[in-house]
Order: sequence, then C-alpha cells, then structure tokens
Amino acid sequence: MSRARRERRRERATLRALTSSALALLGAAKAGADTAMERVETSYSFSTYSEDELASSKTLPGAERERYSIQTHQASIAGPITEWLDLSIDVTHEKMSGASPWYNTQDAAGTPIQILSGATIDDTRNDIALHANYYTERGRLGFGGGYSTENDYTAMSFGTDGTLNFNEKNTQLSGGFGLSFDQIDPVDSDLYTLRPDHEDKQSYTGFLGFSQVLNRRSVLDGSFTYNWNKGYLSDPYKEVFRIGGIHYADDRPNSRHQFAFLLRYNRHIEETESTIHLSYQYYRDTWDVSSHMAELSWYQNFGDSFQLIPHGRYYSQTGAGFYVPYLPTTQGKLADQTSDYRLSPYGSISFGLKAEYVLHSSWLRDVEWRLNAAVERYHSSGDLCLSTVSVEAPGLVSFTVFSLGVRASF
Amino acid sequence: MTVTRRALQVLAIASFLSLTGCATIGDAWDSMWHEVTLPEFPAFDEYTETPKSYVEIALEHDFLVRVKPWERAVLARPDMSFDPDALQSARRSHTFFSKEGSFVGGSTGGGGCGCN
Repeated sequence: MSRARRERRRERATLRALTSSALALLGAAKAGADTAMERVETSYSFSTYSEDELASSKTLPGAERERYSIQTHQASIAGPITEWLDLSIDVTHEKMSGASPWYNTQDAAGTPIQILSGATIDDTRNDIALHANYYTERGRLGFGGGYSTENDYTAMSFGTDGTLNFNEKNTQLSGGFGLSFDQIDPVDSDLYTLRPDHEDKQSYTGFLGFSQVLNRRSVLDGSFTYNWNKGYLSDPYKEVFRIGGIHYADDRPNSRHQFAFLLRYNRHIEETESTIHLSYQYYRDTWDVSSHMAELSWYQNFGDSFQLIPHGRYYSQTGAGFYVPYLPTTQGKLADQTSDYRLSPYGSISFGLKAEYVLHSSWLRDVEWRLNAAVERYHSSGDLCLSTVSVEAPGLVSFTVFSLGVRASF
Repeated sequence: MTVTRRALQVLAIASFLSLTGCATIGDAWDSMWHEVTLPEFPAFDEYTETPKSYVEIALEHDFLVRVKPWERAVLARPDMSFDPDALQSARRSHTFFSKEGSFVGGSTGGGGCGCN
C-alpha cells in the first residue's frame, strides 16, 4: 500500500473520530459499565424446555420414553438507588415434569439401554437473587445473595465480586468469591431404600478475570474460575445396575475441585452493522472430566430497531473416571460409581436463532421496549465427542427451547 | 467422526491464527478483515507494509492499547456487552450446568440441584 494512500486513510480516520466524538461522549460513561445504572430496567421472559423422547432402541420395548419438560418464568428489575449504588432483583419460577434417567441395563446384544424413572416427576423451583453494586472512581464492588427452593432441594448462596479499572479504563481486572449451602431431601426415600433421607453439600467459588479493550471495535476478556464442591455430590435419583438384578446407589466422591478457563472476544463490524461474540472455555476437574466449549454468536442489525442473532455452540467432554454404563455380573460394587449420562464421554452441538425488536412507545414518554423471541436446538451424541467413545451412554439428551421476552427501560 | 474432528481442529487453529494475525485463510478473508481493521492506528508495518498483528500493535502501544473515552461509541453498544441479555444467559447457564458435566465460568453464580 502506498504511503499517500495510508495518509489519506489516517486523515479519514481522524475526521471520523472528530465528528463522532460528540455522540461518543454520550455513550462513554457506559462503555466500561463502571458507573451506577442511569435507568430502571425491567424484563420478563417465558420459556419452554422440552427433551426429545428416548429412542425406542435405547430402552426396553414398551418402557417409558417420554422425558423432561420445563416451563420457566423469569423476571428482573434493576435500577439506580443513588448515583453510586444500584440494585437488581431476579426471580425465577419453574415447573418441571416428566421422567428422567434412572439406571442402565443391557439389551440382547450387550449394548447399554436406559431405564427412565417410572413415575412422572412433578416439581417446581423458585429462585430469588439480589445483587447490589457500589461504584467508585476506580471500579465497582458488588454483593449478592440468592435463595433457591424445590420440593426436595434448597440452596442459599452469597457472593461478592468487583472490578478495578486501569489504563484509562482500557484494562479491567475482576474477581469474586461465592459460597453456596445446599440441602437435599429426596422424595419417596421411604419407598426407595437406596435414597438417603437428608444430605447437604457446600460449594466455594472464586474467579479472577482480565478484560482488555483491543481497539475501538473489539474487546477481549479472560477469566479463571475455581470451584470446590464438598459433601453429598451424588444424584439420589440415579442408580447403578449390576447385570443379574442388583441395584446400587449412585455413589460419587464427596469432594470435587473444578477449574475453568474462559476466553471471550467481541468485535463490531461497522460495514455490515454486525457484532460477533466468540468464546472458548477449557474445563477440567478432579473427577477426570475435561471439556472444551466453543461458541459463536452473530448479532446482525437491520436498521436501529431490528436484530437477528444466530448462534452455534460446540461442546465435548471426557467421562468421569468412575463412570460405568452398568456393572457386569462379575463386578462387585465400586468405591465410586455412577451411570449418569452427564458424566459419560460425549459431545454436543446446539444452534439457535433470536430476533429482537426495539420500539419506543409514544403513549409513555422515554420508555424503550425490547421484544424478543428465540429458539435453540441442542443435540448430544457420543459421535460428537473429540475423543473416540467406545460405548455411548444411552441417556444422552437432545432438547429444544423456545422463549419469548420483553424488556423495558425508563 | 475422525474427519469431523479433524475439520473442527483445523478450523479452530485457523481461526485463532487469523485473529492474532499470524496466518490468513485466503484472499476473501484477507480483504474483509483488512477493511475492518485498518484505520484506527498504524496497522501496517512502516517498512515492509505488511499487516501487523494485534500482538505487535499491543506491544507498540506500551503493551496495552488505549482507546480514549470519546472513541468508545462502538464499545458502548448494547451488543458489544459480554452479557447483552442477562435473563437468557442465566437460563442457558443453568441448563448447561444441569445437563452437562461441567459449568460455565466467569462468575460466582448460585447453585441449584440439577438432579433431573
């Protein structure tokens, strides 16, 4: 490229920077998201999650094949309390029903097949979370707490997190610490002797993050998260079956250290009015599960009021060291054992599309409405795993999620 | 599935190398990204006139790039936020936490059973 052409480009860039500076200043305060919110934002979303029926080849002839479905209502309100303080409240109400994987056995060819829980599970989950942020010249300090309850489960969590800005707010360090105290009281523990009456677990999470503005259109973010789960980490509703007719409880180690390294990159392309979000996560834990996750979202704007967001996600994990599809007749109970498909080796792929429409109501001044509708399809299989899976877990799930949402800020 | 796996690996490596400016995928890709990355700072080497990678640019700018407050119009866009729809990301994180063997990092999110 000639020097003259480069100079012209530079001049154009300077001119554009000057002309857009006035507009940019309006948005400048929000760019680092390190001042208290200026507007009240409320949102509501309804979604349905439904799992595909289990394939007839993956279970016994005539056995239950219908799986889980969940209807979720979510609502949130967030707004400024003072110039330096804002508060948000999120509530979730979910209704779950259907059957879930119970244990595996084998068919005539010796291939594992899935037996689903006979009785239909009906459960509701209510969750409330509060978060307050205090802002200073240098960054943000946040405190939060949450309470989640189901028929058989309660969880209480607390956390604190914060950010520190450096380098004229182009570099941001973040960190946080959280704990959760959970209790489980499995239903029908008097009918199913392998189920415990009451158990509890605790988890302690810490994360450190680094965010860097790369240029006027792109930003990179990396974080490292550590989580320690301790206590009863088994699934009381799952069993390990020994061929021949003996059922054992799902029995996992009572400690699990988890590590996740997440990288995210956002870039805006002015020429096509689109923004791409790329993310990658590497995860590993002390149960020998390691996973790779890569995701791409494409935010395509059509004018100021319409946005289409297609996205794709790929995930692959190795199985836990103590995962067994079932126990052969010659094998006794293992010290640690599970037949949970979620701890088996597999890969998954999901695709989704979201549409968002922005409008300003004429009958209420200065209210911005955002309406959105989204669909996501998730499919998992042993074939999608990065490493070769010799025996695929029969309970691997595929599901579809539809959602509708509305947001208003004033 | 060996072919799919290989293709995914190649795609991942190629994407990473192109983003860091260490390699290019082809003319179409080059022309698109040249247009996109050009004008904000001297993105071309003064002597060889080859495109500089983000790493080189970052090193020249005292290791860390400085975008001034009045240059942040694009960065302030809602779709440039890492979490443009908090309800959707909370729901998706909870789903993946419940249905997969790992979790999504980067926060101190609460628990929940996820048994079924």
